[in-house]
Amino acid sequence: MNISSFQSEFNKIMGRDYFTSDVKPIREQAFNNFLEKGLPNKNWEDWRYTDLKPIKEIDFRLSEISDAPAHNIDVTEFGLNDINTIVIYNGHYQENISSIPNGVRLISLSEYGEQKGWRFNEPQDSPFDLLNTAFMDSGFCLTIDKGIQIDSPIRILSISSTEKNIMVSPRVYIDLGESSSITFIEQYEGNCNEHFLNGSLIIGLKENSRMCHFRIQNNSVDTINIGNIHVKQDEESHYTFNQFAYGSRLGRLNLLTDLNGKGSECFLNGLALTNNGQHIDNHIITSHNAPYCTSSQNFRSVLQDSSSGVFNGRTIVGKGADKTDSNQSNKNLLLSEGALMNSNPQLEIYADDVKCSHGSTTGALDQDALFYIRSRGLDIVSAKALLIRGFVSEMIEPIHHESIQNYIISNFDAWLHENTVQ
Amino acid sequence: MLDIQDLHAGVDNKEILKGLNLNIKPGEMHAVMGRNGSGKSTLSNVITGREGYYISKGDVRYKNESIIEWSPEQRALAGLFMSFQYPVVMPGVNNTYFLKSALNAKRKHNGKKELDAAGFLKLIKEKLTELDMDTSYLQRAVNDGFSGGEKKRNEVLQMLTLEPELAILDETDSGLDIDALKIIADGVNKYRNSERSFLVITHYQRLLKYIEPDVVHVLIDGKIVRSGGKELAIELEEKGYSWLES
Repeated sequence: MNISSFQSEFNKIMGRDYFTSDVKPIREQAFNNFLEKGLPNKNWEDWRYTDLKPIKEIDFRLSEISDAPAHNIDVTEFGLNDINTIVIYNGHYQENISSIPNGVRLISLSEYGEQKGWRFNEPQDSPFDLLNTAFMDSGFCLTIDKGIQIDSPIRILSISSTEKNIMVSPRVYIDLGESSSITFIEQYEGNCNEHFLNGSLIIGLKENSRMCHFRIQNNSVDTINIGNIHVKQDEESHYTFNQFAYGSRLGRLNLLTDLNGKGSECFLNGLALTNNGQHIDNHIITSHNAPYCTSSQNFRSVLQDSSSGVFNGRTIVGKGADKTDSNQSNKNLLLSEGALMNSNPQLEIYADDVKCSHGSTTGALDQDALFYIRSRGLDIVSAKALLIRGFVSEMIEPIHHESIQNYIISNFDAWLHENTVQ
Repeated sequence: MLDIQDLHAGVDNKEILKGLNLNIKPGEMHAVMGRNGSGKSTLSNVITGREGYYISKGDVRYKNESIIEWSPEQRALAGLFMSFQYPVVMPGVNNTYFLKSALNAKRKHNGKKELDAAGFLKLIKEKLTELDMDTSYLQRAVNDGFSGGEKKRNEVLQMLTLEPELAILDETDSGLDIDALKIIADGVNKYRNSERSFLVITHYQRLLKYIEPDVVHVLIDGKIVRSGGKELAIELEEKGYSWLES
């Protein structure tokens, strides 16, 4: 997609009169800023190992009304059927098959904008955030009021259909009031061909609130999935992030967490399973801006065939963020000679009294362990599967929610079955 | 049971075993003693089929069949077992899951019905009691965070569960305190019968006080230079190895 095709799609969205006109100047400014920056290339430090050729080569178009499903779709094939779900199909909200748990307020992006006088958190950090602002379509806000604890999880299920070359730019805000809590799942599915998904998710956690966030990235292998997540945490708030990524040809997660309030904590976890030519890039920045905060980054990948991955994790401990406790860990299992992982855990510390650690390991399956297992009578395929399962189980076991855990396990089992070769 | 004939084997073009002969009959317990570097580890690795070792001459026969072309799992399924000198740590791999999979692979191979979770639990709990092991073991990852003694006990637990006909105990006594040593020796002794054979590979005579061998062999520079009864082990303890070196 070159600049002129971005421009012509932008003109299209500006012409859509079902969006309020208040959003137009916001789009305009973001698009101009995007044009100034341009799409990243490998000379950008944060994009050194990720090739955006798939975006550059294909002309994507906005999703049209005609890309919405003609009749009701069946979402049971995507699992997690007991969970309240907001269904988005090719960027179109499917209100008739969506439900939200009691206590959650769902409002459209226009309403949210009006409530905030069109002054709200607009991330400027990356070209993809700007692009999302310029093109944001399926947008809404979930609010959980002060003191409300929601026991049943809520899911956004994003389905991409077989239509070709659509770009979708969901913009979602989640605001948790003081001492509220929720479990939130974003899940990406669908059997589309070329598809460009560029979502921005902006999360605000007020004092003492808790959010447990799952991101299940199971797009078709022709999808480009760029996820831009911004989390701002107030005092004593608690955020857990768990990504399970097995889909897309190009997946990039930009996860920026700001620990702004004293005693806040975030635990960021990710598991990527890739094969063929897939590329999954996790770009994680945790900023400690207040004292007594705790954070961890724990990312693992299992790479088969000629797939590749990136872990770029940065923990920044700002001046005055004393008593910080932070840990970074990245472990990668290469199942084939052609697989490639780039791991770069970084620590930047500007405070004195902190406890920080980081580590990274990348390697093939342990030959001694394989022999040990085989010497007990299990064949080579079972031995490999056992070790891969062990490597992955440390990411799956801590999931508290049983039906989510079972769903992740069944996805992993299917992947393992397909990818354990003799 | 096991018949090793004129075995020449090594690693990386370096010959380590230089014409080794060993014959173990059903029900017999043999001990191979030797110093570091005498070829003890090579011997156990070649019998169990670890990759990376070559055999240039001779044969390893198990129940009258040559097994040198067999994969490690084929040998295990046929009834061979080795208690490792250095059991491998496998983070994330659950003990119960691992051992149940191994036992069921063997049962399947022997035409027996595979055990379900309840059936396996019943069986494993008996064995745990026998080795004075805590049931918390079942939830732990294989050898992960285990002390030296716990690892060796785990090896013997696997042996008692998988019920091999020929068990190789490779330096099973190293790193054990006397209580752990007695428990392990008890487990092994109870497991002994007229059908099952053992090959104990050890540097020291210590273990042999508790597990009495029928035959003791001395391995020096890749060859067995002397064989005798259990009194040979005591003699070695007193005199060392040098009087047997040429």
